[in-house]
Amino acid sequence: MIGDITIGQYYAGASVLHRMDPRAKLAATFWLIVVIFLCKSFFALGLITLTAIVAVLLSRVPLKMIFRSLRPIVIILIFTAVLNVFYNKGGATYWEWWKITVTEKGVNTALFTMVRIIVLVVISSLLTYTTTPTMLTDGLERLLSPLKVFKIKVHTLAMMMTLALRFIPTLIEEIERIMNAQKARGADLETGGLLQRAKALVPIFIPLMVSAFRRAYELAFAMTCRCYTGGEGRTRMKQMKLAARDVLLLIFCAGITAGVLVLNHFFTAVI
Amino acid sequence: MSYAIEAIGLTHYYAKGTQQQVAAVDHVDLAVERGELVGMIGHTGSGKSTLISHFNGLLKPSEGKVLVDGVDIWRDKETLRQSRFKVGLCFQYPEYQLFEETVYKDIAFGPGNMKLPKEEIDARVRRAAEFVGLTPALLEKSPFDLSGGEKRRAAIAGVMSMEPEVLIFDEPAAGLDPRGRKDLMALIRSYRAETGSTVIIVSHSMEDIASLADRVVVMNQAKIAMQGTVDEVYSQGDALRAMGLNVPDITEIFARLHAQGLPVPTNIYTVADGVRALQALGGRWRA
Repeated sequence: MIGDITIGQYYAGASVLHRMDPRAKLAATFWLIVVIFLCKSFFALGLITLTAIVAVLLSRVPLKMIFRSLRPIVIILIFTAVLNVFYNKGGATYWEWWKITVTEKGVNTALFTMVRIIVLVVISSLLTYTTTPTMLTDGLERLLSPLKVFKIKVHTLAMMMTLALRFIPTLIEEIERIMNAQKARGADLETGGLLQRAKALVPIFIPLMVSAFRRAYELAFAMTCRCYTGGEGRTRMKQMKLAARDVLLLIFCAGITAGVLVLNHFFTAVI
Repeated sequence: MSYAIEAIGLTHYYAKGTQQQVAAVDHVDLAVERGELVGMIGHTGSGKSTLISHFNGLLKPSEGKVLVDGVDIWRDKETLRQSRFKVGLCFQYPEYQLFEETVYKDIAFGPGNMKLPKEEIDARVRRAAEFVGLTPALLEKSPFDLSGGEKRRAAIAGVMSMEPEVLIFDEPAAGLDPRGRKDLMALIRSYRAETGSTVIIVSHSMEDIASLADRVVVMNQAKIAMQGTVDEVYSQGDALRAMGLNVPDITEIFARLHAQGLPVPTNIYTVADGVRALQALGGRWRA
């Protein structure tokens, strides 16, 4: 059912990673993602994989949840692996049939790419598991605040993101309600060709839009009534403070980067 | 003869198979006679809405059966489809389901899905519109240009135009002012008198139910806690209060008057009944 979709996928907890400043976590996540792409040798990739494993253990997020976040990318993984195996040729030949050859280089590249994607997804989903959507947008707002120089309304963007996240469950509920009402009037949403099905969505989509706009107006009024005027001069109830552990996290990222570069230098590159 | 709607051991679990599994409807047996007007009351979360969503097959029972005209609606696809037309379900705030360019087209959506001939659709739309008191001029307007009360009427007409054998209203008067509420109840009463259809009304308003229902069904914690005539149910004030419900204010007033020694009846459930009782008293008793 539609109601089962979870977005934001926050996993409530009190681990070190949960308590860290969202700015530090955001910065570290982006940093590590860049480092993943810097990896050239298996040893460098091993180091970043080890980092991801340690991070998962530190977060105390159950492994089941981590695997769940990997489920949607299984198809992508298989697809890239297959493509890499067949399109990269070099080294010893393991298997040959007609025009298809599987070589050492192909297998290595496929493995490398798969591990790379998995680590990428694990690290980025760890960010959303340990940080609430509100903290995330707050952190993003603060990190992007230098862009104010270019007249970009960072606060407005962050507020829009927060509100959009907040209203996803509400709108899902609304879609269900409207679908039921139209089904009760005999609307057939399940059968027919593509065009027919697209047409059948009109009775759902229009009321949804109407109600989304109504909600937006109501929300705007409510926010105005509470003296919301945008980001200018706005203070926070929960001040973000960088603690020693946040600085440590960034130093740690720098260490990993150095390690990856050194390992790249001393071992043969796969990619 | 079979019942209009019959639920046998109807059970519905939410989040089935997980630790949060809850029965929203728990082994409910209910039979609704043809032409009967059933009022269904219950605290928020008592399972009323989940129960009625089974009557036209929007929800599939986890256990048990729903029979419409004596036939299990989940027997096959076509039976299920027909049950949607036999049992009209008008949700809370039905005006949020309006979508067509004109009111006419919106009311015609249901009959159109029934694949009726054009003339029949036209006749039904006009009949339903007249019934809810929408003038022919309004039919050509956009539903989004109507007033709140008119929108509600247009949406109700959209369900009535399918001319279902059973019409179910979920909180039909929610958000209406007292006048609109009264008009709507009068509309439901005359609809039923004219068409002889079976009607089920789900409401929080004990007074609305008292003025309309032949039979009252009280839901509490996913089960039917009580059922009977208005008199039989409303006389059990303490049991109702224990379920987070209350008797109508007017009943409370008459109970207190009675307790203070005034010779008034205590089975007063609507203001109209109250006025009558006081008038009958008028000649005999002076303060």
